[in-house]
Amino acid sequence: MKAFLDKACDLMRQAGATYGDIRIREDRKENLNVKDGRPEHIATERFAGFGVRAIVDGAWGFFGTHRLEESQIEPVVRQAVAIARASASLPHSPITLAPVEPAVGTYITPHGVDPFAVPLEEKLALLAAATKAMRGPNLKLAQAFASAYRTHQFFASTEGARIEQTILQTGGGIAATAIAGDDLQVRSYPNSFRGNFATGGWEYVRAMHLVEEAPRVAEEAEALLAAPPCPEGRRTLILDGGQLALQVHESCGHPIELDRVLGMELSYAGDSFLTLDKIDSFTYGSREVNIVADATAPGGLGTFGWDDEGVPAQRTPIVEAGRFVGYLSSRETAPAIGRTSSGAMRASGWHRIPLIRMTNVNLLPGAAGSLENLIADTDDGLYLATNKSWSIDNKRLNFQFAAEMCREVKGGKLGRLYKNATYTGITPEFWGACDAVCGPEAWALWGTPNCGKGEPSQTARVGHGVAPARFRNVHVGVRA
Amino acid sequence: MTSSAASFPAASSKEREAKLLEIGTGLVKAGGADEIEVVFIEGRSYLTRFSRNHIHQNVGTEEIAAIIRVVVAKRLGVATASSLAPEALSGARDEAVAIARASDPVDDWPGLPPPRPVAPIDAYDAATAEASAEVRAQMAGAIILAARSKRGEAAGAVEVEEGTLAIAGSTGVAVAGSHTRAEVHTVVTCGDGSGYAEGLSSRVGDVDARAIGRRAARKAAESRNPQPLPPDRYDVILEPSATGEWLEFLSYIAFSGKNFDEGRSPLSGRLGQRVTGEAVTVWDAPRDPRTIAHAFDYEGMPADRLTLIQRGVAKAVATNYYRARRMGKRRSTGHGLPASTSYECLPLHLFMKGGDSSLERMIRETKRGLLITRFHYTNILDPLKTVLTGMTRDGTFLVENGQIVGPVRNLRYTENVLEAFGRIDGLSRRLTLVKGPCVVPALRIREVQFTGATEF
Repeated sequence: MKAFLDKACDLMRQAGATYGDIRIREDRKENLNVKDGRPEHIATERFAGFGVRAIVDGAWGFFGTHRLEESQIEPVVRQAVAIARASASLPHSPITLAPVEPAVGTYITPHGVDPFAVPLEEKLALLAAATKAMRGPNLKLAQAFASAYRTHQFFASTEGARIEQTILQTGGGIAATAIAGDDLQVRSYPNSFRGNFATGGWEYVRAMHLVEEAPRVAEEAEALLAAPPCPEGRRTLILDGGQLALQVHESCGHPIELDRVLGMELSYAGDSFLTLDKIDSFTYGSREVNIVADATAPGGLGTFGWDDEGVPAQRTPIVEAGRFVGYLSSRETAPAIGRTSSGAMRASGWHRIPLIRMTNVNLLPGAAGSLENLIADTDDGLYLATNKSWSIDNKRLNFQFAAEMCREVKGGKLGRLYKNATYTGITPEFWGACDAVCGPEAWALWGTPNCGKGEPSQTARVGHGVAPARFRNVHVGVRA
Repeated sequence: MTSSAASFPAASSKEREAKLLEIGTGLVKAGGADEIEVVFIEGRSYLTRFSRNHIHQNVGTEEIAAIIRVVVAKRLGVATASSLAPEALSGARDEAVAIARASDPVDDWPGLPPPRPVAPIDAYDAATAEASAEVRAQMAGAIILAARSKRGEAAGAVEVEEGTLAIAGSTGVAVAGSHTRAEVHTVVTCGDGSGYAEGLSSRVGDVDARAIGRRAARKAAESRNPQPLPPDRYDVILEPSATGEWLEFLSYIAFSGKNFDEGRSPLSGRLGQRVTGEAVTVWDAPRDPRTIAHAFDYEGMPADRLTLIQRGVAKAVATNYYRARRMGKRRSTGHGLPASTSYECLPLHLFMKGGDSSLERMIRETKRGLLITRFHYTNILDPLKTVLTGMTRDGTFLVENGQIVGPVRNLRYTENVLEAFGRIDGLSRRLTLVKGPCVVPALRIREVQFTGATEF
């Protein structure tokens, strides 16, 4: 492999590249869907190839191929260089990369049981048992999911970096769908949209106790059919971990991506309200709000050794006591804020260029104790659990979320059940209204395996550590 | 030096089709399971991306997916490889067989679909496949020039691709076809104003980058200094991009035979019933040259025109072979998706019937309403009630007494789409191909519900 990498770097230099890198990568994926006690869809995928990225005449070019053959190195480099020269044919400012010490090393995700080594029969038996444990008169679908991803990558740059990484990500979950008339209600565990995910092995799914949780999940889906809709109004909200993780993702994770801030994603997902003038001065939230981007968090879905530019994984302060202090950045974008890269560049495969992606954007634990403590401390409010729907504007200001389940909080206790709860707000106002974050005992990492970005589109697997938190005076529901 | 598909690799689309079919039928003949289907999705795509008036990302890839579906004693397995190497393909087949053996039988499995005649279509344009990085840069440059003429900044993408789909199955299916696609879209910003425009075609020569740039630049200049407007119910005029986004989401939740069969579609149990307004007729027509045409689906079945809603009445949903047989039909509608996904079937080439109006006339006939260029981040709130939420973006204007009076800040809608389509009182005669792909008119809809507003 070394000769393959060296040849590509040599050819890029010879072709006039002032910088170049190559990633040889194989992705292996397994998706298991079980429905009503039987395997519904089981599919595996192996996706291998290499991609070359080069700066020529101060502009980028990239080409990738599935033909993982030495004979393809020269034509692929030639393509990347030709594309870079075309980029340079329009007026532009030459790209300047923030410095990084060329790294040489290896990284393997710490894990217990390799999910690909677990017999398929064993995995399917667990999921089938979980679906069989979900029952109810209106239950139309009982589903269980498990997924495993292994990424094995060699990275080399013309600066001398040589890195080999193996990232292992595993996840799973269950969902119960109850339907009566035109009312469809879903309850999921431990999270919606195929469950929860982490870096690690099959032990992560085993620890979910899917079979044991299944009856409760089905009962809650049934109960939602009979529950009244959540009334509209201004309310105090307590968000559970799954919902809050996506709130962090959409309203903090994306607007701190420095490529968005610099307009590089403007025509697709949009830009960001967190413009450059706001760093170190803007009040993003209340003093309870402390956020870091931490690619070193053990078990986080966005945890790795180095990013796809060879920048080491690191923990970057984003919000300190409510003040906005940092971005997710790359070697190209970091000079815009006079800093070095925060190590957030990742590609979804050999066929895509790395983009600034969330690592683990974590809301740090506060002092509100356990979830039970927080509910006991709340006189009048709503507790929302598990995300159902999300939408946010192209600067990441106006958002609207829906949760699978809502419980009234009265006098420090959980009360009646509501369905179809939504809430909406403006990002800094919402985070400014956060007056309590639960403590370390309630803090957990959540995986978001479906983060879309870029053109051509890329899907990233990223993480969010959160503890449940409370927000005051939030607009709940829709004024019809 | 170029970076076109023609130079890398050197083979014609017909040669690639023949080669893929040869490899696929060889793998099928080698056996190893009761039934085997091999789907090759092969192609090259190039995307030149620009922002702040310069090219900042510029990429090309050549990819292949070999999706192998096997059946062993009515048990199914699917495995995908990204190589044509014999050991990769046989390895994927063996993995699919192992999956099948670990799985349970599908009692109502009807077998893989038997072959049906597929008439070829002309969906491949050599000039598009050969569009070089220099051509793409010139198209980006034309848009940037248009933005500069309004003292604006352009962001966007110029994309060209060529692809070949080849399918071989143990029932005798053996079809292959190639297509090309060119797409240009841009957001031009002028201070706090922004404007969007797009163009899409099978032929790069039909995409006029300069006109797209001018349209977006004009809209950006006209949308400077947007004024706040309170959330309320407003009559709206949807430009085709906005119409297309609603139609695409409606399709996702309503027109899948799988969702229908599982009771999760708003059309479940309602075929033959009125589900929306009489003005609404929707169909899928993959072979129609007005879209990015495909002659057959991912099971190799001919993709015929399928009427989904006719004058407000639900008529059909899209199926693959398995779902069609479960639903008591002899044939699929020709809307099978790759076996590597669990979604099974969807219509991917939607059309909506137009009316006798025009965008300009609908504006003239509006007493008070909103002209909406496009939506952003639409998502589903309630699938059975077809409730969607999302934002307006890149050109939202207040219309009063038949005139555009000025830009407004973007608003959030929360709306039942089938109900909203029931309030359509104007459709443009002209249909436009927009991303999706969807071929749709501009619409005027009464009293669409806006539930929030943002700060720009």
